[in-house]
Amino acid sequence: MKALAGIGIYLRTLTVAALLWAALSWKVGNPVLLPSPLAVAEGLWELALELELFENAAISLGRMLISLTLASLLAIPLGFWMGMSRLTENLVDPLIEGLRPISGIAWIPLALFIFGIGNALPIFIMTYAAFFPIVLGTVAGVHAVDRRLVNVARTMGVPPRTIVMRVVVPAAIPPLLVAIRLGTAAAWTAVVAAELIGAPSGLGYAIEWYRGLLMTPKVMAYIATIGVLGFACDALLRALNRKLTPWRLGLDEERSR
Amino acid sequence: MSRLATHPLVRAAILPILLIAIWQVAGMLVGPELKRMPTPSKVLTAAIDLIGSGDLPAAIGQSLTRVFGGFVVAALVAVPLGLVMGSSRTVERNLDPLIESFRPVAAIAVLPLAILWMGTGTAAAIFIVSYAAFFPLVINTIAGVKRVDRNLLQAAATMGLAKVTTLRTVVFPGALPSIGVGMRIALGVAWTAIIAAELAVGAKSGGGGSGGVGQMMFVFYAYSVELNRIVVCMIAVGVVAYLLDRGLRAVLSWGMPWAR
Repeated sequence: MKALAGIGIYLRTLTVAALLWAALSWKVGNPVLLPSPLAVAEGLWELALELELFENAAISLGRMLISLTLASLLAIPLGFWMGMSRLTENLVDPLIEGLRPISGIAWIPLALFIFGIGNALPIFIMTYAAFFPIVLGTVAGVHAVDRRLVNVARTMGVPPRTIVMRVVVPAAIPPLLVAIRLGTAAAWTAVVAAELIGAPSGLGYAIEWYRGLLMTPKVMAYIATIGVLGFACDALLRALNRKLTPWRLGLDEERSR
Repeated sequence: MSRLATHPLVRAAILPILLIAIWQVAGMLVGPELKRMPTPSKVLTAAIDLIGSGDLPAAIGQSLTRVFGGFVVAALVAVPLGLVMGSSRTVERNLDPLIESFRPVAAIAVLPLAILWMGTGTAAAIFIVSYAAFFPLVINTIAGVKRVDRNLLQAAATMGLAKVTTLRTVVFPGALPSIGVGMRIALGVAWTAIIAAELAVGAKSGGGGSGGVGQMMFVFYAYSVELNRIVVCMIAVGVVAYLLDRGLRAVLSWGMPWAR
């Protein structure tokens, strides 16, 4: 019942916003500058019918999946290593902190030169963007593992390898999942920029393409798609977090943004 | 020697210095077909050139002006809105769907619309920056208001304080630490957004003047192919991002001693 009321308010707010938008677009009277919500819905419908929308979305999502996998494969082992060895952390952390302020987007010109226009460029940029939140989150997660648990295991003569697998890894999983969510958000922001400038396909490319043709309804339809997919990815990961780590319910939700 | 080697600062320097040395040696060993490859020494020369000629400081100045402009616009809208949304459940429930609908849309995705509406100049850049900075600001302001001590609010209500006065004298100072966190996130996001916007404008408008570090980088890529200078710009982007965060942190801790 409460959820239903929430949905009701949600729909009411968006309806009011759409009406204001429609009124404004009627007042502006220029469909290139500000098309009406109906025109955008029509554009979205056309793109969906021609399957173009799904193709571009699949391309962007596929690139993101590859990037996230690459970033996780690099960042999670490195994060565990840094979290458990002070020496490694002292050695590697300055490098990470030195590179981190250089946003993924700032790599685009150099990466364009190295990789050219194609799949490699957005994948590189997204992997780079997702790497930092994941590695830092993993390190923080390992640091947050209760020292007493590790000491207890050690006192009982559990071998170090087993301590890592049975104590450290399970305890570090909840913050790790939050880190992956942050990495996903960072990668999804970067994909649009990377595709806008340096890819021959994907959602970012499509936005720029229709802007060039002055087909604003389709530009807006693609922008909405990016928003919806970004939201859906986040909701999916959130649900996954809840499923995998029910004991941490609500603890990290607040901190994660 | 062994004590020196375990000093954190010494350890911190080992890997960066090693990598820079390898990069330099690799750059000197590669064949003539890779002569464009940047090396640390060439990057240093390029940096001296770019800073000496005043081009890089000017471009950074232009980008920073836009970031501050957009940031102020975003703060002027987001902080009051967040204060109201945080203190009134009704307002929050009704406006939250709108904010949550737009939040997943990256600022750079809105750039084509901004170019359509405002051209490729400073106005579009400021629009993108304020869009990017708006969301972290408003969300952290709301969170901050909710963390204000309930006893203080009840005391204010008991003493018959007007709503606006309560907002100004109780809620706002109480929410400030959280607003500060929002400002730090927002400033970082804003700086990334301006680089992206300038890059994209440079890429799509045929280099037609909008300036800033982002466009400068794109010109070095597309027209003169000077990779060393691109690397200088990248380092500059990183240094500015770092200094912005450090500077804002210093200002916040100086201005809000109670939140340290």
